[in-house]
Amino acid sequence: MTTLRSFAWVPLAAGTMLIATPSSVARTEPGRAGPEIGQAAPAFTLPDTYGKEHALEQYSGKWVVLEWLNYDCPYVRKHYSSGNIPGQQKKWTDQGVIWLAVVSSAPGKQGYFEPAAMNARSAKEGSRATAVLLDPDGTVGHLYDARTTPHMFVIDPQGVLRYMGGIDDVPSARVGDLQRATQLVDQALTELFAGKPVSVTTSRPYGCSVKYES
Amino acid sequence: MQKRTEGPRRYRTLHSGWWLAAPSLLLALSRPGGIPGRSEALSAPADTTPHSEAYLVSEARSVRPGSTFTVALAIDLDEGWHTYWRNPGDSGTPAILEWSLPAGYHAGPVQWPAPERIPAPPLMSYAFTGRVMLLTDITVPPDARPGTTARLGLSAEFLVCREICLPAEVTRSLDVPVAAGGGAPDPARAEAFAAARARLPMESGAWQASAIPTPAGYDLVVHPPRGWDERSASFYFFVDDATALEHAVPQAPAWRDGSLHLALTRSAYNTDPGALDGVLERTDGGGFDEAGTRAALALAVPVQKAAATPAASHQALAIVLVFAFAGGLLLNLMPCVFPVLSLKILGFVHHAGGEARRTRLHGVAFAAGVILSFLVLATTLLAVRAAGAEVGWGFQLQSPAVVAALCVLLFVIGLGFAGVVEPGASLTRLAGVGGSDPRYRGSFLTGVLAAVVATPCTAPFMGVAVGAALVRPSAEALGIFGMLGMGMAVPYVVLSSWPGLLRRVPRPGAWMETLKQALAFPMFAVSAWLVWVFGLQTGMDGAGALLACLVLVGFAAWAVGRWPAGTSTRRALVTSRAVASLALVAAGAAAWHGVRSEPAAASVSEVTAGAWRPFEEGLVEAQRRMGRPVFVDFTAAWCISCQVNERLVLSDAAVLDAFRARGVVLVKADWTRREPDITRALESFGRSGVPLYVLYPPDPAAEPKLLPAMLTTGIVLDALDAMGASGSSLADAGRSNGGL
Repeated sequence: MTTLRSFAWVPLAAGTMLIATPSSVARTEPGRAGPEIGQAAPAFTLPDTYGKEHALEQYSGKWVVLEWLNYDCPYVRKHYSSGNIPGQQKKWTDQGVIWLAVVSSAPGKQGYFEPAAMNARSAKEGSRATAVLLDPDGTVGHLYDARTTPHMFVIDPQGVLRYMGGIDDVPSARVGDLQRATQLVDQALTELFAGKPVSVTTSRPYGCSVKYES
Repeated sequence: MQKRTEGPRRYRTLHSGWWLAAPSLLLALSRPGGIPGRSEALSAPADTTPHSEAYLVSEARSVRPGSTFTVALAIDLDEGWHTYWRNPGDSGTPAILEWSLPAGYHAGPVQWPAPERIPAPPLMSYAFTGRVMLLTDITVPPDARPGTTARLGLSAEFLVCREICLPAEVTRSLDVPVAAGGGAPDPARAEAFAAARARLPMESGAWQASAIPTPAGYDLVVHPPRGWDERSASFYFFVDDATALEHAVPQAPAWRDGSLHLALTRSAYNTDPGALDGVLERTDGGGFDEAGTRAALALAVPVQKAAATPAASHQALAIVLVFAFAGGLLLNLMPCVFPVLSLKILGFVHHAGGEARRTRLHGVAFAAGVILSFLVLATTLLAVRAAGAEVGWGFQLQSPAVVAALCVLLFVIGLGFAGVVEPGASLTRLAGVGGSDPRYRGSFLTGVLAAVVATPCTAPFMGVAVGAALVRPSAEALGIFGMLGMGMAVPYVVLSSWPGLLRRVPRPGAWMETLKQALAFPMFAVSAWLVWVFGLQTGMDGAGALLACLVLVGFAAWAVGRWPAGTSTRRALVTSRAVASLALVAAGAAAWHGVRSEPAAASVSEVTAGAWRPFEEGLVEAQRRMGRPVFVDFTAAWCISCQVNERLVLSDAAVLDAFRARGVVLVKADWTRREPDITRALESFGRSGVPLYVLYPPDPAAEPKLLPAMLTTGIVLDALDAMGASGSSLADAGRSNGGL
């Protein structure tokens, strides 16, 4: 049987050809910050220009719109001077929607005003928001990954995010472009109030960058 | 607002900035009636271009009917201010240009130069600083009358931003005389326009790119043209689509497998675009052209279908495991397994004579060797892939070094069978540990060899299972590969414990020695095949070197076998062993030389000569757009099943006639060496191995049809018939692939 013993050594080298490598296949994925459609909107509490605290939690059971605001941004000016945003604010707050304008401009940066000055400015611009919230350190802005002014979020009575993105779908600072734009926040609220699915749940926010503390 | 009104805007002379360098341009601007927008600005205090100036200039002094000339909106920005690119990044909007032109004149799209990155954490802007020229081509109608003057009117809006953004609005016009002999560039402006053109992205030419979806976003793969070798360059990719990517996330460019990879992060506003066209910029100061002055490249970037889309990837793990088991079982019937058949027969015959328990244990040891090898191969494959290399199943035979080693190993096994050398005793002693029977180890290692040699082929069911394994978590993937090994090994376990069958094997005797010697020849045949594979990988020189290596190994084996340890004199023993060692060293050197050889450029494609075209990325799509059906043969020299299919079916006259009659474009994707393009193409079908045969109907919207791993002429002809005549869709042949 020695003749067949050769059989035993033969594939020895074959084993050495296989290089075992640690199976380190797990890779960490860079997590993306910010809220997601269909998920609970991040909780926050911010003071308004009158010193009153607003917690998202307290509006459970109500529809909430968040609008990132900087009155001196040309894009925001487009929507205020034309009456587009104040008109939507009036229309929806009349139906019980809580419309919160959030200012994340840092002190000294464009769009930041002391509370009294902010109130005067809101009156002048015709704002019909429920309240203007002050977020000078940008905490809530970063929590929502707010990038531009305006940048809009619609939250349902269960606290779930239903829309985020631009106020409309024509990114420009020209009032003339409002005619051909679809107002996406208004469309989402209209559809949600009618019990229909939201046809556009996200769109690119456009506008000036939020003037965060650098 | 407060910034805008912090002081009355000073009147700025036109002498500021670089325009001093172009005096004739100033002449054009100051020509009476030429610039109403500007003259308004002179008289009115309102500044419509805060922190900037804007000019409309023509490259040509006069224009010829029917010609095209270039004009520029030149924006000169104050230090620290920027205006946006066509994708502005996370905020802002690009300039909008609206032309009012005489009847018949036509303005082309804005030719955007490559932008700069202006980070404002957490946001990123793509914009221009300093001076930017937005070029536009204007076409003069053929019936324009010489002697007249064309007035080009432009109203433009753009944003001027630093910390804050200010809208700018300009109205400019330019009078251009039409002259029969006109059209010559104004030499005084040549430099400014040449500088502007140098900033435009170059046409991509031989550069190819595609984006592969990943969990975090996309793997942007850029293939440089052959011979481009500036690996130290650094890069950044500007995407056109403003909604697709997180602009502020670093892209970590890296070279792998001869391609540049950039990790692009998906934005929350991504709408799954079919393409991620954009501009690739060299950020190290070098260029894409030979002169090194063009730092930007326009890239068309189709997004590939995620590898995970094929049905099997989403199937329940249990089903994939069943597929894997069936695939492993069927692997035993594939031509690929031919090389190890001899080993199996011999082992079976050998152990059949022994007692039943031991025979069964040999079967189990063999199975353990097969399964463990599958697991080790799979672990290696997963680890290599995790490190970023684009490899697939069978990757081990894509390495010439492994092919050479296998070739030598099988040659030596053949020599052993033929009786030239009998080195078994010493090696088994070496391998034998403690009380365990070294021959179980032998059965185990035979299993290892069987797995290594036979696995590169894909059996029916197996392609789906391996493809699915690679997109699953590693634990599940290993389970799938383990099941494949189990499927392959199970027939031997069953046979080795089947007493009825074992009884039929004749008693051991002289016939076994005869059988063993005869089985040396299949081993030599496999060696010869591996020399051929090696030759395709490394060229004729490489094959020659490997043959020299085999001769030297043969000599060493003979020297050892001629003077065996037990019966030779001490002197003969020492001399023969020394000579054998020298021969082995020389053999190693020869093999090393062979492994390092490079094939002549055409050697692989020579194999694909004739009706077959070599695979290129985009070829299939291009042919289908022209209304032609395409058949792709994914193959490799080391895949014996592939060779069998090609020789028996794909070279068959009836099959070739049928291909020709339907105008089918035949494409051969040769995976003998590592080809990342082909690996990706396989992955787009959820596969990671060859053979794979794909028939694409001419209609680009129709789903391609996959043919089975073992072809028959009937299968191919039926598939062609099912596809129908190609003539019906030739009407689409003129469909263009669109403009910008």
